[in-house]
Amino acid sequence: MDQPKEPRNGKVPFEEDNYTHNIRKNNERLLDRRGFMKTMVGAAGLFAVSTLPWGAIAAQELNGLKQKAYSKLKIADISALQVGDAVEFAYPGEHDSALLVRLGENSYVAYQNACTHLKCPVFWSKEKAELVCPCHHGLFDVKTGAPVAGPPRRPLPEILLSVEKGSIYATGVKRYEA
Amino acid sequence: MKQHLYIEIDNCIGCRSCLAACTQCGGHDQRNRNYVYDVNPFVNRQTIPLMCLHCVNPACARSCPAQAIQITEEGAVLSALVEKCIGCQNCTIACPYGIPKFDEAQNLMYKCDLCYDRTKEGIPPMCASVCPTNTLQWLTEEELAAKKSRQQLGRWTASRDPYDALEGETNVKISLPGILQGTVKLF
Repeated sequence: MDQPKEPRNGKVPFEEDNYTHNIRKNNERLLDRRGFMKTMVGAAGLFAVSTLPWGAIAAQELNGLKQKAYSKLKIADISALQVGDAVEFAYPGEHDSALLVRLGENSYVAYQNACTHLKCPVFWSKEKAELVCPCHHGLFDVKTGAPVAGPPRRPLPEILLSVEKGSIYATGVKRYEA
Repeated sequence: MKQHLYIEIDNCIGCRSCLAACTQCGGHDQRNRNYVYDVNPFVNRQTIPLMCLHCVNPACARSCPAQAIQITEEGAVLSALVEKCIGCQNCTIACPYGIPKFDEAQNLMYKCDLCYDRTKEGIPPMCASVCPTNTLQWLTEEELAAKKSRQQLGRWTASRDPYDALEGETNVKISLPGILQGTVKLF
């Protein structure tokens, strides 16, 4: 007449998920419709809060709270650049290819020359006096950097210049404001 | 479960006080939720109270498609939640002990909930509190352990095949009748 410790049958066979058998009174509020809505709203709130750091970064950027510092870089000597000629250089990083064009006796412009469509290198066409992207025949206005034809919709980022003692220096990149 | 309902089977005299207490309990609307059966009709007069056994894995609750039967932390299997019960009677079919009963008028199942409002506070359920012969007892774990040390406890089974009966763990404990233990009670 020994009593077995474990019942032979009628045991809870496995750890049941409670989504379909939510019969624990303690679980009632966990998995009902209200609980589901709480979870959804809570998750939405969590996602909303988690975007706040990005907002702060964007605000810093847009309000100029954190001024970007660019190092000064000598591009070329004026004597080495004829009017209507262009020279390629890298600014601000060594992989940020850029283009300096001498438009007049004392007029220089420089842009980062990655096309704003698909980053093809834009070159200076001296004959037609325009910036050309060869990939999809994108054209940019050399005076402003604004796109005038082809697929690009945004202007080329302009590089700030200064002329000192017969040399041209890059001093910064204009903030994008299109 | 801190305390258990314990049935000292040999003590039952068939007075049906437990039924009366259950019937007259508030909200029970004259319907009792426990039953007294003859063990061996025409042979002897032994009776046995049968209440909900508050199974650890209750077939009634598992079979409920609306999750209207809830299991409390203490192990009590509650009566149908009025707002959830759809009156499908799956539980009355599933229970091997025939405990859940169906109220046609209300379209609701009703069953013993171990007087949950009382027992959650440590007060014995109505049936145990009125039993004149201590057949129904409300025991703490220590008292139950003492019972176990003195005598064997029985197991609740439901007939399917007499030699391979359905057997489940329940929160209502039962004494093995003296006749099966080879002992005779002198009270």
